[in-house]
Amino acid sequence: MNAEFYILILGYIFGFYMAWNIGANDVANSMASAVGAKAITIRQAIFIAGILNVVGATFIGAHVTNTIRKGIVSTDILTDPHLALIGALSALLAAALWVSFATWKSLPVSTTHSIVGAMIGFGIVAGGFSVINWGKLGAVVLSWVISPVFSMVIGFVIFKLIVKTIISKKDPYTSALKSSPFFIGLAFFVIILSFLFKTPLGKNLAIETPMALVIALILASVLGVSGMRVLRRFIKKRASGGEEDIFRRIQIGTSCYVALAQGANDVANAIGPLAVIYFLVKTGNIGAKVPVPVFLLLFGGVGIACGISMAGYRVMDTIGRKITTLTNTRGFSVDFAAATTVLIASKLGLPVSTTHAAVGGVLGVGLARGVEAVNFKIIFQIIIYWVLTVPAAALTSIVLFKILQLLI
Amino acid sequence: MRIPFISLFVTSPFEGIQEHAEKIKECSGVFQQAMECIIEDRCEDFEHFRQDIDKLESEADAIKRRIRGHIPKGTLLMVDKFQLFRYLREQDKVLDAVEEALDWISFRSTPGIPEILEKDFMLMVDAVMDPIEELSKMVAEARKYFSNFSASQRNLVKDMIRTLRRHEHEIDKIEDTIKQKILNSSEDPVTVFHMVRLAEIIGSIADHAENAGDMMRAMVAR
Repeated sequence: MNAEFYILILGYIFGFYMAWNIGANDVANSMASAVGAKAITIRQAIFIAGILNVVGATFIGAHVTNTIRKGIVSTDILTDPHLALIGALSALLAAALWVSFATWKSLPVSTTHSIVGAMIGFGIVAGGFSVINWGKLGAVVLSWVISPVFSMVIGFVIFKLIVKTIISKKDPYTSALKSSPFFIGLAFFVIILSFLFKTPLGKNLAIETPMALVIALILASVLGVSGMRVLRRFIKKRASGGEEDIFRRIQIGTSCYVALAQGANDVANAIGPLAVIYFLVKTGNIGAKVPVPVFLLLFGGVGIACGISMAGYRVMDTIGRKITTLTNTRGFSVDFAAATTVLIASKLGLPVSTTHAAVGGVLGVGLARGVEAVNFKIIFQIIIYWVLTVPAAALTSIVLFKILQLLI
Repeated sequence: MRIPFISLFVTSPFEGIQEHAEKIKECSGVFQQAMECIIEDRCEDFEHFRQDIDKLESEADAIKRRIRGHIPKGTLLMVDKFQLFRYLREQDKVLDAVEEALDWISFRSTPGIPEILEKDFMLMVDAVMDPIEELSKMVAEARKYFSNFSASQRNLVKDMIRTLRRHEHEIDKIEDTIKQKILNSSEDPVTVFHMVRLAEIIGSIADHAENAGDMMRAMVAR
């Protein structure tokens, strides 16, 4: 047994720890509005989130990952395999520790930003400040602002649309049923597109963009209409609040949508550096991109699911008791905004945070006067921790790198 | 554990406002009993009723303070924050007027209410119950409007505001009758003053309810 074998084992442990943290920290984002609006129970939420995070990670997660997330750090530093090994290991642990600390102190940080920061730290210590692609970093910083704002806009528009076409109508139940194919179809449209564009299965089909759009449109309309049929069969009309009943069912779907998007987006945060370690140990060298084996994605997905199932109950319980003003139509708007933002942004290659997308969604619905009282001050809190996360993770990563360099 | 998602949600002030309106309704029942007691002579429980109202009023005050104290800076509400506070202030004044009426009677409780006014005061007290009841209903309906934004629900709230205005007008008329009767009676000047002022205080209960309705009208404005 050589040292590299132990490093790989260590990589697995740290990777799992990171994935666990992602699950524990981000479970609220996908399921909070559904649990808050009483669409699903806590038990169901944990079960759905766990399963779908695994599915999203394994099947939609990035199968080719940039060795250094999003090319912020030049790959020159990877030429020395030994250095790269230590770097990936320390970055992984640094990000995981920072997220753990944040979860413990309940700071609104993003797991994505933590790993980006940790990678920057490794880049600086291994190659000096010159290896950092500052322009790229600027783009990333910009995307942090864009993702909540984008999510806010979607949340605002969707909720206004619901108000205009459904809940302000004389017979909201019938209006809701009539518009349900549109809302269900819209969700499916984004899911199908991301499936066609992002997954290896979709890429193997080699469908051109216009063709993909057509396919997604047709499939989405079929699923939307059949979704309405199912709703009509199962939900009886009652004197009032029928529209909320309908959205309660649709919301189960959208919270699945968020969990799926979350799994797909966040798994790379834990598995990216692990894939680097895996390939260095197996092949001895590494390029700018690494193919990620499915079993690693599955490993990451399971790690996230473990985090969800272990920390999820407490988080959900708090949410169920604290968020009482969120009804199903509002919850749907929040979920839809968050998931769409995450899927579109990750398609564009931007490192977005599901936390910030979810927060953006709530603020959007709040701006559309959908929530009786929303605290906007949290946006400043989030900005502070955005700014803090990157240097904090980078610094931890540098310290760990120095320690590991002495040991290995 | 404080989750960022949760800290987004602030306890809705409307919950408190509804609670506050219910407290007023509770008070109005006691007020009615106290007034019946004072009109029927030989009232022994009057002081007891007055203390009940005092207690309810301080409870309502606590609710009011809780609402004001639990809206952090930077909170986005359905309505303008200051409109909301002004509404709450008017609603609270309804309760203050109820308390003041009983206090005013207690300052000179022995002769009680002159016989010629008994009926009118009874009528006035009964009439005052309507706007108070309407107020708590209006808060509930307004909350419904804020959740579904439907035009018909908005009209319902506006109708209730109109009803409040009508109630106030009716009570005004009774107030005038009482003043006319007592000023043209042969009662002693102190009693005259006592009764005129009492009619004004009871009338102000409806005035404040109407004002609260007007504030609500501003809140449901599109």
